[in-house]
Amino acid sequence: MSQATLNRLADAGFSGWTTVTGRTLAAYQAAVVRIGVALTFGGFLLREWPHRRVLYGDLSPWSGDLARQMLASNHAFTVLAWSDGRWWFEGVYAAAIAVSVLMLLGWRTRATSLLFMVLVLSLQNRAVLVGDGGDNVIHLMAIYLAFTRCGQVWSLDARAARRGTRRTGDPVGVVVWAALGLALAYCQLSGFASLGMLDFGLYSWGTFFWLCWLLAGLRGLLARRAPEGEGLALLDALATLVHNAAMLVIAAEVCFIYATAGWYKIQGSLWQGGTALWYPLHLHYFEPWPGLADGLSGSSTLVTAITYGTVIAQVGFPFLVFNRRIKNVMLTLMIAEHLGIAIVLGLPFFSLAMITADAVFLPTGFLARLGQGVARGVARIAATPVVRQTIMRAPRTPERDPEAVSVIR
Amino acid sequence: MADEPDEATSPEPIPPLAETPDLPDEERRWSLPSLLVLYLTAVAVAVAVVYHLGTVFLSIAPANPVSQRHATAINAHVLPEFEQNWQLFAPNPLQQNIAVQARVQTVDSTGHRLDSPWIDLTARDVAAIRGNPLPSHVNQNQLRRAWDYYTAWHDQQTEKSTGFGGPLSEEYLKRIGLQRIGRDWEGMAVIQIQFRSATTDVTGPSWTGAPATTSPSYRQLPWWPANDDDYRGLGVS
Repeated sequence: MSQATLNRLADAGFSGWTTVTGRTLAAYQAAVVRIGVALTFGGFLLREWPHRRVLYGDLSPWSGDLARQMLASNHAFTVLAWSDGRWWFEGVYAAAIAVSVLMLLGWRTRATSLLFMVLVLSLQNRAVLVGDGGDNVIHLMAIYLAFTRCGQVWSLDARAARRGTRRTGDPVGVVVWAALGLALAYCQLSGFASLGMLDFGLYSWGTFFWLCWLLAGLRGLLARRAPEGEGLALLDALATLVHNAAMLVIAAEVCFIYATAGWYKIQGSLWQGGTALWYPLHLHYFEPWPGLADGLSGSSTLVTAITYGTVIAQVGFPFLVFNRRIKNVMLTLMIAEHLGIAIVLGLPFFSLAMITADAVFLPTGFLARLGQGVARGVARIAATPVVRQTIMRAPRTPERDPEAVSVIR
Repeated sequence: MADEPDEATSPEPIPPLAETPDLPDEERRWSLPSLLVLYLTAVAVAVAVVYHLGTVFLSIAPANPVSQRHATAINAHVLPEFEQNWQLFAPNPLQQNIAVQARVQTVDSTGHRLDSPWIDLTARDVAAIRGNPLPSHVNQNQLRRAWDYYTAWHDQQTEKSTGFGGPLSEEYLKRIGLQRIGRDWEGMAVIQIQFRSATTDVTGPSWTGAPATTSPSYRQLPWWPANDDDYRGLGVS
């Protein structure tokens, strides 16, 4: 190898190194996943509000005893196994809704994403047998998001950073940090955390949570004492490194989902024969609109086209995402197919979760423009007299716009 | 876990189109200890990513020599929280509608026993799903997956449990039935419950002229006693 090649390799290595340690890559994509996952999970919790106690709570046929027998053997994490009390459950469910909203808005995402993960795992692992593929996607993404900096853009965190509104010393941050530490210590020391779920170990939740807490505390301390120091820069570089790795894992996970889904399909005779789509459309559990399903499956051409198209798209997805132009066509098709599944098969939350996963591959330029468009739209709506009068703190009577008042009335 | 205040301390606004810059690292000269920490963490993260993606891939790929040889290591990492299955309608989609039905035996004050007719619990689920843009997991997943769980852990001929999930799935299925039917049937206390599945093949595509299938095949489970313990925490009186 010539000296020039070696030099070029060294340069490439160095620039790669400074990138993965110095730049938060895919910040918009991380924000999209955060917003999509929070929206899906929060929306799901609101939809299931009337059924919450039967699904995950004190009225579940999957009783606390049954759940604990399974948890003792599979070692899944859920705070709902610690007590069967109704109000513990109601508190956790309400907290899950609240934290979903905070996650959506991007408020203190470093702590919130961890709490979000804990609550997603808690509800799903309490009654894993009521879940489906959509819950599975949310479960994985909730874990991966905890390792990302998903609040760099499109978040209250980003707004606070822009405006510099968070006071030096950040008392709210300190309170959140202290409260979470106290809660963790209480659960662990009082024995409230049963089934050894918070026990220490080399690879255990107890160790992981305390490590996160200590690092956050250290970072807060350094930010206050030595904001220009190398310690803070080092912690940031490490966080950047972990974020970039987590985004890579999320992207790979989405490719796995499609690749294996497609891989298994090409082994099936009905997918080969082009009629597979017919059958899900005629399963009673996935047929909320029989007329629609009949209409869709009435054409043999359409059924064959969608059957083959699904297999081709899924098998090809992991390879096509590396080609910018084809990728965007693919994403449009995948998102359209999932919108169809949401309605035709009655799986709206599964579809929303999958669309969120797809969105990881949307181009940054498109996302940034989308964000600006949404922001302008919101600003325009907020500027209309009606909204100014009703939502925003309106000026007192003398300045009130008479036309707007009449609209409200 | 306090808020990460790097946003609070970074003075420059985030440019809309660029990746967000955190620190101008090209200019930073790390001290040797910092550099060591960075290198070691980078190696550890890289190893973790490769290990995680490798084990997850092997856990969801069809069984192969590598996944069989390393099954213990794969399961140790992937289970329980990274467990996943993307065989969505694959290799072939389900081609049967499986309806779970239950009947109860009641006893009146004179000790006379009476069997209820079969109650189609799945039909109730389907009725709740029809015309519903947001079907609930209670209707779409609970009974359907409880039946899958039962069949996965029972011998089809003898209905004997084949392992760990056997007793759990029986108790779960029983409690779903009892919760949906209630403590009483026509004013008399429920003392036993029995389940069966009615499986109907989905009629093949209309353009192939596939014959319509109408008569279901049944799989009937033994009677299970239902006592106050089974009703605990179901909210039915």
